[in-house]
Amino acid sequence: MNEYLTQEKSIYIQISEMIENDILRDILMEEEKVPSTNDLARLYSINPATAAKGINLLVDSGILYKKRGIGMFVMTGAKELIRKRRKEAFYETYIKSLLTEATSLGISKEELIALIRREDA
Amino acid sequence: MNSKTLACNGIVKTYGKKEVLHNIDLSIEPSKIYGLIGRNGAGKTTLLSIMTAQNPASHGTVTYDGMPVWENQTALDHICFSRELNPLIGWGSNNLKAKDYLKTAAIYYPNWDQTLADRLIKDFELDVKKRVCKMSKGMMSMVTIIIALASKADITILDEPVAGLDVVTRDLFYKELLDDYAQTGRTFVISTHIIEEAADLFEETIILKDGSLLLKENTQELLERAFHISGKAEDVDAVCAGLLTHHTENIGRSKGVTVLLEPGQTLPGNADVSIQPVSLQNLFVALCGRES
Repeated sequence: MNEYLTQEKSIYIQISEMIENDILRDILMEEEKVPSTNDLARLYSINPATAAKGINLLVDSGILYKKRGIGMFVMTGAKELIRKRRKEAFYETYIKSLLTEATSLGISKEELIALIRREDA
Repeated sequence: MNSKTLACNGIVKTYGKKEVLHNIDLSIEPSKIYGLIGRNGAGKTTLLSIMTAQNPASHGTVTYDGMPVWENQTALDHICFSRELNPLIGWGSNNLKAKDYLKTAAIYYPNWDQTLADRLIKDFELDVKKRVCKMSKGMMSMVTIIIALASKADITILDEPVAGLDVVTRDLFYKELLDDYAQTGRTFVISTHIIEEAADLFEETIILKDGSLLLKENTQELLERAFHISGKAEDVDAVCAGLLTHHTENIGRSKGVTVLLEPGQTLPGNADVSIQPVSLQNLFVALCGRES
């Protein structure tokens, strides 16, 4: 949750990804309350409406749920769900750009696989 | 929480023969934080002073909850305009000690929160025994911030509140602002030149250019339709065909432009150009800077 914000992505997307990261790393546990939009707004010096947009993204995707009058909580199974979705997106987000860079450097697929297999990597 | 709108209808301001504000229609809706940005001389302070009845408009009206604000104490009780203090003025109210200056301010605002004012004086480590005119620019900014926050006015307007403040104090101000906003949900309008760090605070951004309203839009939505496109000049031109481009820069065969997509417009996904998001500051430079 204490990562810096960058300019490469919309702020609300970064907020939702940071909460997901915290769930993956057991900083936020399932059925635990997540910081309120006002807490997040204050931490990052952002408008609460933007923080709320990030939270709502996670509610829509079934990662968080709302307990009325109390706040937002991590859904049971959220960690597994995030893993599954990120695995599905892994090719698009990581492999594609890896291959593009490898191609422009003239690294063959065999060399690339050898690099991945390297012990110290 | 208040639910009333401050509205400018066809505001024109002329000084002698020079028209400095051209037909401005603007409505400040309740419970939002607005950022007002514009270059020096764009008319920001003039507009803010007209909106708060400290300066008469040449044409047009300003209303709060439907009633004109001019000479209307009922409306003005809900509005605080914390002006930038001028270090060159050494007489009048500027000659007061800061604590007396704040006491005077307290009389003007019916919802004045002295406890908050006292706490802010402590947090900012402001020497209130000092005369306002003897203060540094940053200390003057602290005084204007304390007045704005402690006024607890439904509509609070700050004109360059962070000018001269160091980065730690600026951060403190942003956090105090958000705390207050979380508690009261009142409306803030903040003009600033330090766009980069304040951009994310603004639910809506208002850009004033040469005395006209260039745009007023939800900040995130505005940034989602702004892109910087760069690459080989022909490729960039092909991608931008039919789009309005801003701030073109060329170096050798390379070209960079900023585009603001209109509804229905899209960028092709497969072109061999770099497409990057644009920060509010860069977008502002693209829209209001000089074309090279």
